[in-house]
Amino acid sequence: MAVKPKLIKERIPTPEVPVEERVKSFVEVNLGYDFASALKEAERCIQCPPEYAPCIKGCPVHINIPGFLKALRENPDNPDEAVKNALRVIWNDNTLPAVTGRVCPQEEQCEAPCVMGKVGDPINIGKLERFVADYARKHGIEEELLREFMANGDGTKGRVAVVGSGPAGLTCAGELAKMGYEVTVFEALHRPGGVLIYGIPEFRLPKEILDKEIAKLRELGVEIKLDHIVGKTVTLEELLGEYDAVFIGTGAGTPKLLNIPGILLDRIYTANEFLTRINLMKAYLFPEYDEPIAVGEKTIVIGAGNTAMDAARSALRLGTEVTIAYRRGREDMTARIEEIHHAEEEGVKFEFFLNPVEFIGDEEGRVKAVKFEKMRPLEERDRKGKRKIVGTGEYVTLEADTVIIAIGLEPNRIISEEATGLKTNPDGTLVVDENLMTSIPGVFAGGDAIRGEATVILAMGDGKRAAKAIDAYIRRKKANA
Amino acid sequence: MGYVITKKENLSAIDFFMEVEAPHIARSWKVGQFVVLIPDEKGERVPMSVYYAKDGRIGMFIRRHGKTTLKLWYEFEVGDELLSVTGPLGKPIEVKHYGNVVFVSDAVCAQAESYATLKAMKEAGNYTIAIQTFENEANVYPERYLAKPVADEHYLTTEDGSVGIKGHYLDVLRELIEKDKVDIVFGGGKLGSLKKLAELTRPYGIPTIVTVRQIMVDGTGMCGSCRVLYGGEIKFACRDGPMMDAHKIDWDDAIKRNARFAEQEKIARERYMAELRARGVV
Ligand SMILES: Cc1cc2nc3c(=O)[nH]c(=O)nc-3n(C[C@H](O)[C@H](O)[C@H](O)COP(=O)(O)OP(=O)(O)OC[C@H]3O[C@@H](n4cnc5c(N)ncnc54)[C@H](O)[C@@H]3O)c2cc1C
Ligand SMILES: Cc1cc2nc3c(=O)[nH]c(=O)nc-3n(C[C@H](O)[C@H](O)[C@H](O)COP(=O)(O)OP(=O)(O)OC[C@H]3O[C@@H](n4cnc5c(N)ncnc54)[C@H](O)[C@@H]3O)c2cc1C
Ligand code: SF4
Ligand code: FES
Repeated sequence: MAVKPKLIKERIPTPEVPVEERVKSFVEVNLGYDFASALKEAERCIQCPPEYAPCIKGCPVHINIPGFLKALRENPDNPDEAVKNALRVIWNDNTLPAVTGRVCPQEEQCEAPCVMGKVGDPINIGKLERFVADYARKHGIEEELLREFMANGDGTKGRVAVVGSGPAGLTCAGELAKMGYEVTVFEALHRPGGVLIYGIPEFRLPKEILDKEIAKLRELGVEIKLDHIVGKTVTLEELLGEYDAVFIGTGAGTPKLLNIPGILLDRIYTANEFLTRINLMKAYLFPEYDEPIAVGEKTIVIGAGNTAMDAARSALRLGTEVTIAYRRGREDMTARIEEIHHAEEEGVKFEFFLNPVEFIGDEEGRVKAVKFEKMRPLEERDRKGKRKIVGTGEYVTLEADTVIIAIGLEPNRIISEEATGLKTNPDGTLVVDENLMTSIPGVFAGGDAIRGEATVILAMGDGKRAAKAIDAYIRRKKANA
Repeated sequence: MGYVITKKENLSAIDFFMEVEAPHIARSWKVGQFVVLIPDEKGERVPMSVYYAKDGRIGMFIRRHGKTTLKLWYEFEVGDELLSVTGPLGKPIEVKHYGNVVFVSDAVCAQAESYATLKAMKEAGNYTIAIQTFENEANVYPERYLAKPVADEHYLTTEDGSVGIKGHYLDVLRELIEKDKVDIVFGGGKLGSLKKLAELTRPYGIPTIVTVRQIMVDGTGMCGSCRVLYGGEIKFACRDGPMMDAHKIDWDDAIKRNARFAEQEKIARERYMAELRARGVV
């Protein structure tokens, strides 16, 4: 009988830029593995059989995790070969691993049920996924694989229009191109990527990496038309006339605002405005770049999701003190653990059970304080399993000369207002059937546009599922024609 | 890509005309809608009104205001390309028979809209009246760029009286209202004037639809930068406007919000002018 390998209980850590340095710039915080340490971490995996492996089940797109870890381990003396084989396994299910490896809440997905988590730390799957993607990109390994994946890529099976270039749209486009469809992506902004380009800051997801991921799609033959708003520049009906099917991946980009006194005061931003100015338009490099941003000395961020963490950490880097004020408790924060941890490390303060009721301004119309009602948790829980909260009737006022509102987003209605046949739910999300088809035949949708605010990987999963459904739909249509 | 500049011409001491190739916009643009352009890689997104859209091109009137618009004037020539032109954005206005339609304007964006709107209104069978106000003679456009050809009545005023009627569009409009010649007013330009306009027409119950100019980023309803208080509700000028009912807008707040980045704009402008001087451009 073979000797049982010794279990290594602790994770091999990944280095990070020291706090003092990183709060001064937008450089990426986590530095990732090198091959030697990635190998050591991958070797901790006990290789659960794929049909059982809980990590695969925990991943919304079911990446063959033990499979890619095994591939990585099989060529310890040939990193290029190891990475190529690992990337091939990942790409089967996920074509944007450099993104998901950085932004997925792995602790709630693949890493949560990992068997190793029962005896020690779960395998650091996210960072390993990121390693494979980064190494492959740096060493020119992707080109070769792309050719392999493009086997059917002659664009003759049909034409598909994809609306929106966020993770849902990009994934759908990539999958369809691989199947042999001619795909055109229509994007409202002047750069592709959706939230990945305008929302998530460089220190979590460098733009250069995103651009390279998108360049791969162009190599697959996908055409991306920027500055095109479907519903304004072209109508859905026009797209249906020109293409065999349409995928809508327009996300949830409309900010929710607090309808309380003082909302129009200067230096009260929505997280979307704040982050768009910084990420998409590089306002942190003003005046070298033309986009301005103005912050004072004390910033309050309202909310506790990823958006709030990104806004808080960005504000910090512009040189202001930052406090996150959340109406619920610490355990209810929805941001990724790593981001909360980084925010704390970098000096963001947290205040819980505070619900804003008024913004107070100075004579010049600029915000100077926020009045909050203190909240109290109840035993009773809401549908999402969070403890309900009630107001206590007690108030507290915190000074702030900058406020960022990050309380949520909903889908925009540009397309649904224009295309009257497109059914929506009251919250603006599109109605779809089990094949992700909307109320208009041949029009499919996925990502935040149907879910409201969700995650990158769920959007990608939808993109992929929709690609399969679109393929089936077009085949059927052509067979009946 | 490939938003090639096809024409550029000086209009006055302060404004200029620019035409760019943007077939995606020209085919679908309607009166009331605007575009957002970005000059270059380091540029910001700036909203612009449309003077005309035809043959795959859009014409714009641009004021040499701050860094972006100065850059467009000094560094972009016919044949050069802009990084991005997006649109059409915002909601079109309803073009139909109203009777006597007046368009009032006292700043660059509205001078462009004056021509475009009245042209459409005239085609829809309205009697059209343009009142175009400029600060002084040096700021007045050459005649072919005024709304004259599409206006049944055309009034040119300067605030200092150096040319045309001395006074503001508000003065001329007041007279027209007293003569009972006004069924609806469209307009745009300086926010302070629009506030007064709203107060002028309100007692008469004359519908008044104007451009609510606010600082924009995306122009599609994604950032909330352009929010205004409209009939007590929060609306986005880019998505729900830009042309909105002047009587429902909280103008004091709108005016304040539009000055949000004054300090930064000044820094950018001064730095840029110094750069131009160092390069011998100005
Ligand atoms: C600041 C922030 C941080 C986040 N952090 C994380 C994280 O760490 N991990 C995670 O998993 N999730 C995170 N999320 C959520 C995640 O980004 C979204 O769930 C995901 O991006 C949704 O993808 P999507 O493709 O559906 O839409 P989006 O990414 O929103 O992309 C939609 C695209 O469609 C375009 N568009 C919209 N309307 C039109 C139209 N009419 N015509 C043409 N184009 C149009 C938009 O411009 C946009 O580019 C974060 C979200 C935000 C805002
Ligand atoms: C719907 C709409 C239509 C417009 N049409 C025209 C037009 O036809 N011609 C024209 O010259 N200008 C127009 N503008 C204004 C134009 O967008 C600004 O003049 C331009 O952004 C100035 O940029 P700058 O860097 O040159 O000057 P800055 O020094 O940055 O700004 C000068 C002034 O322009 C305004 N402004 C600045 N940035 C923005 C922004 N991102 N969005 C909106 N306003 C801003 C502010 O009032 C500011 O005080 C329009 C604005 C809106 C909202
Ligand atoms: S659950 Fe953990 S140990 Fe099992 S295969 Fe997945 S990563 Fe490896
Ligand atoms: S400009 Fe962003 S919402 Fe209007």
